[in-house]
Amino acid sequence: MSSVCFYFQVHQPYRLRTYSFFDIGNQHDYLDEKKNEEIMHKVADKCYLRTNLLMLELIRKHQGKFRIAYSISGMALEQFEQYRPDVLASFIELAETGCVEFLAETHAHSLSFIYSRKEFKRQVNKHAALIKRYFNQTPRVFRNTELIFNNDLANYLESMGYDGVLSEGVDRHLDARSPDFVYQAPGASKIKCLLKNYRLSDDIAFRFSDKGWSHYPLTADTFKDWIHARAGSGEVVNLFMDYETFGEHQWEDSGIFEFLKHLPEAVLSHPDFSFNTPTEVLKLYPSRGVYDVHEFTSWADTERDLSAWLSNPMQQEASRRIYSMESQVHQTGDPEILKIWERLLTSDHFYYMCTKFWNDGDVHKYFSPYDSPYDAYMYFMNVYSDFEQTVKLLNTFKQREEQAASLQAESSKVDRKRVFPNYARAISTSTAALVS
Amino acid sequence: MSQKRPKVLMLGWEFPPIINGGLGVACHDLSQAMTSMASITMVIPKTSTGFQMDNMQLIGLNMLDAASKKNAFTDKAATPGFERFTIDADLNPYSANISEEPFSMEKLRQRQKDIGADTRFDLDTLYGGDVISKVVQYAARVAELAKDMDFDIIHAHDWMTMLAGIFIKEASGKPLVIHIHSLEYDRSGIAAGWVYELEKHGMEMADLLMPVSHYTADVIARYYGISKKKMAVIHNGTSIVKPFKKSAPYAEKTVLFVGRLTRQKGPTHFLDIASAVLAQHKDVRFVMAGVGDYFSSIIEKSANDKLGNRFHMTGFLNTNRLRDLFAISDVYCMPSLSEPFGLSAVEAAQFSIPCVISKQSGVAEVLPGSLKFDFWDTRKAADYIINLLRDPVFAQKVSADAVLNLNQISWPIAASKIIDAYRDFSLLN
Repeated sequence: MSSVCFYFQVHQPYRLRTYSFFDIGNQHDYLDEKKNEEIMHKVADKCYLRTNLLMLELIRKHQGKFRIAYSISGMALEQFEQYRPDVLASFIELAETGCVEFLAETHAHSLSFIYSRKEFKRQVNKHAALIKRYFNQTPRVFRNTELIFNNDLANYLESMGYDGVLSEGVDRHLDARSPDFVYQAPGASKIKCLLKNYRLSDDIAFRFSDKGWSHYPLTADTFKDWIHARAGSGEVVNLFMDYETFGEHQWEDSGIFEFLKHLPEAVLSHPDFSFNTPTEVLKLYPSRGVYDVHEFTSWADTERDLSAWLSNPMQQEASRRIYSMESQVHQTGDPEILKIWERLLTSDHFYYMCTKFWNDGDVHKYFSPYDSPYDAYMYFMNVYSDFEQTVKLLNTFKQREEQAASLQAESSKVDRKRVFPNYARAISTSTAALVS
Repeated sequence: MSQKRPKVLMLGWEFPPIINGGLGVACHDLSQAMTSMASITMVIPKTSTGFQMDNMQLIGLNMLDAASKKNAFTDKAATPGFERFTIDADLNPYSANISEEPFSMEKLRQRQKDIGADTRFDLDTLYGGDVISKVVQYAARVAELAKDMDFDIIHAHDWMTMLAGIFIKEASGKPLVIHIHSLEYDRSGIAAGWVYELEKHGMEMADLLMPVSHYTADVIARYYGISKKKMAVIHNGTSIVKPFKKSAPYAEKTVLFVGRLTRQKGPTHFLDIASAVLAQHKDVRFVMAGVGDYFSSIIEKSANDKLGNRFHMTGFLNTNRLRDLFAISDVYCMPSLSEPFGLSAVEAAQFSIPCVISKQSGVAEVLPGSLKFDFWDTRKAADYIINLLRDPVFAQKVSADAVLNLNQISWPIAASKIIDAYRDFSLLN
């Protein structure tokens, strides 16, 4: 018995405007609403609606035997609500089939685990509440932004009560073992790890339309052979990829939808194979070994580490600065401020600042709304400057209000005023000065 | 001594609106001021229609072809006016790539002959790529045009037009004046290379040199071996701007840098100064306006030094945006390694901003009241800036002195000094 476990990542960042130095203090809308809306419409029509419909057909056709999982970032959910509620409705329809699992992630699709456990936990809980609200599921399995993972993450998630966590199956940590088993991080007693089979996943996500590839064009028949060939040498093939693979990264004319349409039937033609969601996989198979990762790994770029987001000083400075505002942001108690801050924490902003200009540079460039990584940093830091000031001002006002309130309280105490007539006057003038 | 209006054939390269260098501004304002005392014919590589200027004949080579050149000169209506010269980023001759061929006048003369009299000036290939070809093409074409022109004196600006000046002088026997706004030595820091050789040869051939500062005159004497006896220093003027003040969009004070981000302008020194100031005085932001090949390394270094919240790069700015920046600034800092003049410091002074400027600059001569430091002494610059930020009385005194200094310079003063120098050096016979 072997499982094929599909998980699709759905995410769209809130892209920032080309926010100039002269906008600081003058313009407080940081988002490029036009571009965000445009991209959302484009991807909704080319990928989300189209693929969701196909998934729904496949689930119905296979009567519960085709099962999949999604992780939808809070940023994507917010933008669905804002721009394309029809996309959200189609995901809800999928959830209602009972064949679709929704995973947990950080609300802002952020790097928060690296910077602040407190903020990480807050975002994970916020996201889980949204998933419950929209899809009536409480996530049991977590996937971190771009599959960023290490032992600490697994152990921390265990303490938060999660059953499983997704990770890239990184060769240097697998030590010649197969990614096609369930593993466990050292120190973990309950939580288990599902490792991405990056060869088979990337055959679909990256190589599918590559005409220079020896297996081009890839058919469902060929692919099912590769999966079936693993019978006996593994228990679960984890196919993890961006959902935008379907129709956005791989265009319709590449035949990607035809491929997807025929894949479930082809895989299920072997009696030992089934489709299972992450939670089902964790129930079906025990851990077969320890997957020991001290450094942070991810599914990004050829390095599969954090270098896509944090390898140069601009990325480090920008992320350090924005995370350093955590307590001030919460101090405002202002939900709008929190919302904007979350949108600034999205990992994509730091990805755009990446200066690795080999192979992967092209990928960064493809996704970046800016002309260069330097522009990305410049605009981000200008936004940061305005945001920092706004937060500071709000906190100052708040502090003054509190002071004024305590003076008011003081003024209602009559004793001192009765003995010292000037005391009453002093209180009323300073209260007036504070609130003005 | 002849008192009639001298007829000046001016050879120029770039014109406003240009943000990345002072040459275009200086050429434009200077020649305009000279029109009251001289008849000016200005030849530049490129003009376009729509920008007229009085009392001056302006010829853009792109407007002419060989067959119609005579018409263009005799028929006023066919002459394009003094026009706006639009310049692309890669057109800037000061950051051009020069091929490493050795300098040779013989070779250049041969190329002039090859180009011949009837070659159309090919604008598409004028900028970017092989700058030497463009300089030779310009020289050959202008020399050909000059055969039919009536003039008393040739007045060339900087290295791009020197070769043309040499050819015309040889053909016409008229005196050659070279105005020096900027030198290869300033830009590269070394006295060698093709452009250096051309500059040296041109200045040797010239009858009179007009460096924009005593600082530049010293550089010419020291690194080009040319006697100061054939130099007349002409300080630049200032364009009249209406200064205004604005409050900054943040609570901190602002220290401003304006200029091309190239080695010559000392951008890394500015960053070092910023670090030193911020170590002692937190309530200040540093703003760098301009683009150039140091842009990305400065941004990265500022992030690396963890100055992201206090160090801003604006990228390219037009004149109005630049003035908005002057309007909010509290200190202007110019840490140039070698600056023949430094017009932007004058502009800062016009906005009553106290200036902290490198001693290795010409503008230091016309702003004696400003605070000066050797460009490598970033410690001292930082001390000055901290004092200006903390002591409003001191800042007020420094900026007030600068405004007084400004009364000593203007384009009409520069223009009349030029005409006087033509006469003093007996070039108008």
